Amino acid sequence: MDSARYRELFLTEARDHLVSINQSLIALEQSPPSTVRGGESVNELFRAVHTVKGMSAVMGYDSVAALSHAMESLLARVRAGEQPLEPAHLGLLFDAADALESAIESSSVQADAGPASALDVTSLVDRLQGRSGSASSATPLSTLPTVRRRPPPGSGGVVVSVSLEPGTILPGARAQLVVARARTLGAVLGASPDEVALLADDFDGQLALRVATEADDATIARTIQGAGSVATVAIARDPDRSDACENAPDAASDPSSTRLADLPPGADRSLLADASERFEAAWGNEVLKAPLQRYVRIDLRRLDHLMSLVGELMIVRGSLAQRASAHADPMLDDVVTEASRLVGALQDGVLGARMVPVWQVFDRFPRVVRDAARTLGKDVEFVVEGREIELDRSLLEQVADPLVHLLRNAVDHGIEPPAARVASGKPPTGRLTLSASRERSAVVIRVADDGRGVDRDRVLRTAQAQGVVDAEREALDDDEILRVISRAGFSTADRVTDLSGRGVGIDAVLSRIRALGGTVELRTGPGTGTSFSLRLPVTLAVIPALMARVGDEAYALPLTHVTETLQLTRGLVRTVRGRDVIVIRGEVLPLLHLRDVVGCARGDAATSHVVLLRVADRTAGLVVDQLLGREEIVVKPFDAVRGAATCFNGATIQGDGSAALILEVSSLL
Amino acid sequence: MSHTVLICDDAIFMRTMLSDILQQAGFDVVGEAETGAQAVNKYRDLRPDLVTMDIVMPDMGGIDAVREITRDDPTAKVLMCSAMGQQALVVEAIQAGAKDFVVKPFQPSRVLEAVQRVLG
Repeated sequence: MDSARYRELFLTEARDHLVSINQSLIALEQSPPSTVRGGESVNELFRAVHTVKGMSAVMGYDSVAALSHAMESLLARVRAGEQPLEPAHLGLLFDAADALESAIESSSVQADAGPASALDVTSLVDRLQGRSGSASSATPLSTLPTVRRRPPPGSGGVVVSVSLEPGTILPGARAQLVVARARTLGAVLGASPDEVALLADDFDGQLALRVATEADDATIARTIQGAGSVATVAIARDPDRSDACENAPDAASDPSSTRLADLPPGADRSLLADASERFEAAWGNEVLKAPLQRYVRIDLRRLDHLMSLVGELMIVRGSLAQRASAHADPMLDDVVTEASRLVGALQDGVLGARMVPVWQVFDRFPRVVRDAARTLGKDVEFVVEGREIELDRSLLEQVADPLVHLLRNAVDHGIEPPAARVASGKPPTGRLTLSASRERSAVVIRVADDGRGVDRDRVLRTAQAQGVVDAEREALDDDEILRVISRAGFSTADRVTDLSGRGVGIDAVLSRIRALGGTVELRTGPGTGTSFSLRLPVTLAVIPALMARVGDEAYALPLTHVTETLQLTRGLVRTVRGRDVIVIRGEVLPLLHLRDVVGCARGDAATSHVVLLRVADRTAGLVVDQLLGREEIVVKPFDAVRGAATCFNGATIQGDGSAALILEVSSLL
Repeated sequence: MSHTVLICDDAIFMRTMLSDILQQAGFDVVGEAETGAQAVNKYRDLRPDLVTMDIVMPDMGGIDAVREITRDDPTAKVLMCSAMGQQALVVEAIQAGAKDFVVKPFQPSRVLEAVQRVLG
């Protein structure tokens, strides 16, 4: 029952359910289960846990199944109103959710490890069960004494005594199938035990029915056997002297027997009402109605493959247009134009399919913030805005880690402890906002807190001590602060906490965002808080680029970093301390030669151009031989040989079929 | 001609597994549904020989779906797929017209036995 294919499906789906489990738990923590919202959360929680239980049991992941079963039992009790949900339970459920996550992850890795993966959930399971009482611990069937049934009440008809196989799963339901089968033979006049007792935990798998039927014994036996898990069927034709049923002193007065009149099939009110009452009591109707989503799950690799096919098609389109223009054939031109339009629409469609709403990642964060706040003793209200804003899926996944870091950082260093907040006239609960918004061709993700703000003086002093800033400087602006705190190894944290302050933080965030073609902006005010804004391209798959030539090769410069181009004239270039610089409007900028970067001799090119490149607040000029124009390029992942030039992060194929490398501008500056 | 089957479960994992079990046994899986409401609609369109039905599903649960399906077609053969601890629900499903049930975790042999019983 285990194969890589199922494992992958299991993992993807189980992870989604974990996200929803955590969300429901946080919602419950914020509103008690007695409220309407709390009730919905319990239902959602139950549904997610229940599904995980079913899937893991099929996969044979025993520890996951045991844990989710224990969680489910506790939740069932809560929902039925048999048990109030206390803070201790929530804590336990949070722990269980974590254990469930690690159990799921480890089960799927070491599916065959058996006992090793089943080891440490037992204590949690015990705790969950301890809290949830012992009412559910049913006695195993095998230990029950086997007694034969009393005969069913009433008279006439054929008495059919059935015993189910020992160890039958859900014997009450199986017995119900026996009753349903018997009903196809004729009216069921009586049953023992009654149908309610069939559902009791101590039902032993023995039942007797009185059936008004003309069928012969063989037909009766065959029909009853068809219910499944039937060990024996005994048929007694003489109802008054039933030898199939012993111990029958006074059937008529037996309170556990019910006379079922000739009700039509499906109309046994007693049982039906009981079952549905139990169900209503336990779950209500709403549990069956989850919000419906119209999504198809697609493996990201398939989308990547589609995108790369579209890329090839765009290249073919380019060369087709080139060739067509040489023919001066209006019919051909029309066809090429139409084909181009369709390829363009196809490209938009595939890019659109890669876009996912940011909540797919953002929904993991409430738990992150909650845990950080708890660990640090902070009170934090976490607000998420713009959940529906869409971003390329691979890009979104890559910003998840930087965002986690910024959020933890905000809880740790930004938001003050409650007492300190009150002392400075703020509400004790800090506010942390994560928002996404669309700004022209970019998506801006902002992490903002209302905490104490960056300590400018301390950053200045530390920077001066490290020799990063001139000793005579008296203040730093926001951009300078970001530059200083993003230096690898810089930290102003007095103490090193578990969460942040190790000095490996902001620089990692910045380099990741820049590698994605994005920028980071810091705004901070003393006492009013700090915000980090990450400005990201909407997609990485197709980017606008300036194509430039050096020697015989073409290179692509992502347009997001290009601010200006100019012709290189002798007077522009100066040399300062042996380095080329260029003076633009009184500003001295370093000048790089793409020929040096790509290891091409600096010949005397007929013409030269300078491209001004900007990453965050750094600007430099790059000398190229020739500018080829602006193009939308399809980015191909780039498998650089280890140790090869790191200044390229991809490649693209041009209309004539030749490749062009894409410059990673941030590494140049 | 092989028997046609409609599989209803909100977990793609379960649908895949059931589909594999049944197809390997020579059944023709003609449709899948993620919700009870979908199951009812697809049953009307496809008229399969057999339906496998999860109990807890969003947007109309399996029990209501069985009720609707058997009201439309009293001869419908619906096999419930239940988890442990859902006995009352299974009983309700049988009352609503389900013909048999299997309990997760599925063993292919159990599933196929139940299917044979329902179709036989």
